[in-house]
Amino acid sequence: MARDKVYQEEDFPTPLMQLWHSFKQPPVVMIGFCCFIFLIVLALLANIITPYSPVENHLEYVLLPPAWSNDGNVSFLLGTDNLGRDMLSRLMQGTSLTFGLSIIVVMASLAIGVIIGSLSALTTGIKSSVLNHFLDVILSIPSLLLAIIIVAILGPGLENTLWAIIMVLIPQFVHITRNAVKEEFAKDYVLASRLDGASSIRILRYSVFPNIIEKLISQATLAQSAAILDIAALGFLGLGAPLPMPEWGAMLANGIDMFYIAPWTVYLPGLAILFSVIATNLVGEGMRHALKARKEN
Amino acid sequence: MSDVLLKVINLSKSYQDKNYWFNRKSIIALEPLSFNIMAHKTLAIVGETGSGKSTLAKLLVGAELPTTGHIRLNGQTLAPGNFKQRCQHVRMIFQDSGTTLNPSLTIEQLLDEPLQLNTKLDETERHQLIRETLQKVGLLADHMSFYPHMFSGGQKQRISLARAIILQPQVIILDEALASLDPSLRSQMINLLLDLQQQMGLAFILISHNLGIVRHFSDEMMVLCKGKVLEYGKTTDILQKPKHKYTKKLIMSQRFQLLNH
Amino acid sequence: MNLIDIRNLSIELQTPTKSILAVDHVNLTMKEGEVRGLVGESGSGKSLLAQAIIGVLDEKWVVHVDRFHWRGQDLMRLSADERKAIISKDVAMIFQEPMACLDPTATIGEQLEEAVDTEQLTGFFWQKRQQRKLAAMNLLHKVGIKQHQACVKSFPHQLTDALCQRVMIAMALARRPILLIADEPTAAMESTNQGQIFRLLASLNQLKNMSILLISHDLENVTHWTNTITVMYSGQFVEAGTTEQIFNQPYHPYTRALVDSSPKASRMIPNKSRLMTLPGSIPILQHLPIGCRLGPRCPRAQQKCVHAPKVTNFHDHQVSCHFPLKDSYS
Repeated sequence: MARDKVYQEEDFPTPLMQLWHSFKQPPVVMIGFCCFIFLIVLALLANIITPYSPVENHLEYVLLPPAWSNDGNVSFLLGTDNLGRDMLSRLMQGTSLTFGLSIIVVMASLAIGVIIGSLSALTTGIKSSVLNHFLDVILSIPSLLLAIIIVAILGPGLENTLWAIIMVLIPQFVHITRNAVKEEFAKDYVLASRLDGASSIRILRYSVFPNIIEKLISQATLAQSAAILDIAALGFLGLGAPLPMPEWGAMLANGIDMFYIAPWTVYLPGLAILFSVIATNLVGEGMRHALKARKEN
Repeated sequence: MSDVLLKVINLSKSYQDKNYWFNRKSIIALEPLSFNIMAHKTLAIVGETGSGKSTLAKLLVGAELPTTGHIRLNGQTLAPGNFKQRCQHVRMIFQDSGTTLNPSLTIEQLLDEPLQLNTKLDETERHQLIRETLQKVGLLADHMSFYPHMFSGGQKQRISLARAIILQPQVIILDEALASLDPSLRSQMINLLLDLQQQMGLAFILISHNLGIVRHFSDEMMVLCKGKVLEYGKTTDILQKPKHKYTKKLIMSQRFQLLNH
Repeated sequence: MNLIDIRNLSIELQTPTKSILAVDHVNLTMKEGEVRGLVGESGSGKSLLAQAIIGVLDEKWVVHVDRFHWRGQDLMRLSADERKAIISKDVAMIFQEPMACLDPTATIGEQLEEAVDTEQLTGFFWQKRQQRKLAAMNLLHKVGIKQHQACVKSFPHQLTDALCQRVMIAMALARRPILLIADEPTAAMESTNQGQIFRLLASLNQLKNMSILLISHDLENVTHWTNTITVMYSGQFVEAGTTEQIFNQPYHPYTRALVDSSPKASRMIPNKSRLMTLPGSIPILQHLPIGCRLGPRCPRAQQKCVHAPKVTNFHDHQVSCHFPLKDSYS
């Protein structure tokens, strides 16, 4: 039987692989991407690789400065806070809280937003408009205020603030999905699929989603940097993670009182937040850049 | 003399103007028309934009529901919303080859989809059928694993043609499919279409405004203007003795006087 | 005297891996008052050639030319800026999709007034405003738009394609150019509108003695409106001569195939018969054949065709082929 491919070694990149190639090109984006991956790995392995437990008090080493100053101690690389807890371990654990939870929040709101957006694009007329806009009322309330309201109703705790942030992030995904899907529906290959007898679900899955996934990812990275800042802000206000948990915003709030005597308790969590937001934004930039390069191609 | 393959009776389409809730106006896109097509024959539909030819194409292929009238193929009425039945008999090739092919699927997956949805062949049989169809349109079996962006415009139109013939239909509608091609590719495509018409006994409905191709390729011709049928009959008759002023203007503007008619 | 005389123009595309010769040693000459057609399919480099003449190619394209004379003046001795100044004064260009070339947020009147040549206005600045409006109106009359009031106040999307193309021609005429390059002006239009635009160009040529370089991919469309034709294939010069010579006695196999493959050719072919075509398809930029680029598809190709052919001249009918079809006509 004749072989189909005469040149066996030639490989044809799928569109996702092509996206990866054009994404990899600018070196800044690769640095940002590596930092992003580093943060994800840290978030997953935080429990295992911290040198000390993040909540253990070492009362003999209270308010120790970082190891590079004169009074520091090498066994506590980044110093300790006012209760003798190791800053390095707390920061690493905080990665899984602030950064890791932000990823979960974005994925949840992406999933819900895409479902509502697709339903809105499949229908027409009033039903479509209602689905598109009924969550817009959430856009009118700032996320912090919404979180306070939800905490007032449901009580304080980490899960409740997460619900608040998920709700705030959904409307943008609804709009973007609906516009992208409507744009795809105008194209001839979707009509060809429909004429072949494909059901709407099949059309969405094979013809539409592979082509809009880049837009969704670039919007998701934008949403993620907002989510990181929201989780940290809520932690700072004391509405998020309860006290012993080493969330970066809560650590900031804790260290503010002692800013003049122990500045490292403030600037270290702040730098961590800055680092994660920059990494996310670089990845988002790279994705949008790759998208634009593909469009021009 | 073969029997009538496709019979269209009193087909028309009008739209309701959605902007006014009271006193709705209806816009007539296509007035009631009827025609017949035999196998091995080509009908050309000529008209400018807004004349209703794309509406007619969409009605024939089933993408829109007609307001009145019905379509009969070999005596059997084609139900308006039933795509699965319709696609076995009437297929369409679109104009803009840039958006007719899904950029994230390989050619094999693209041609597999109509087979998966409409036939009961298993995987090896489908693979074999795809390979044979690609060879029929002049592409290699290698091309099965390529993506659409790797092909030129002429090749993309051939892939569209392969997608149309893979279900062995009886009628193919060419919605300005040849307009965007270069002249040499266009003549290659015309030769290919003529061969397929001979082999498979297809009937073509060619929508075009290039009267040279219409004269060469079609047996019968219909001239549309603003939804109305101005002329319908054999191509040679209409081009030699046009009755309507609009047809005369159309012929004049394409320099037919160069030929010794 | 020749209006424009270009010898051996080559345009190279600089990619990171290698440089690709998109246009390979092409000659172009035009006399004053002549309408020349530049015919070639996609990938033939005809738009690149026009853009190289105007000078709007960006850095990734490198242009080499042996001779570039404009009205007897050698432009290669001048600096790039001086060259641009001369060309932009005397040469104008119109493009394919007129509606996309007009600013969608400004009215036609504003855009026309912007295009009017300020050197032709005299007087104080309030007088100049009036003169500008008058000049815009005159331009619209020149292209045959009588109801200028309605046109001047409307936006581009409110006009039809043919009207937009007329406005583009009006804007091109503002500087009173000697040469008008029309890059596929009617590609997206229907035949009745195409006739209008071509008639307008022909009248401009006759009344103002303006030369026109008409670029198209359709040979049959162009034959009625041009005096001379140059044919290009895949970046190489193929044939040039008067329209009758090219259409009735093409010397190059490619031109012959182009003429034969159009159903409207003056040979009477029976209905629904196969058309004569060249096998294969146009080579892509990444895989250009060496020597004569028609080689892989040409029915008369032989060993010699691996080397690029030179241009031979038979009574002003130039052809670039090792085995021209001249003998088959005698």
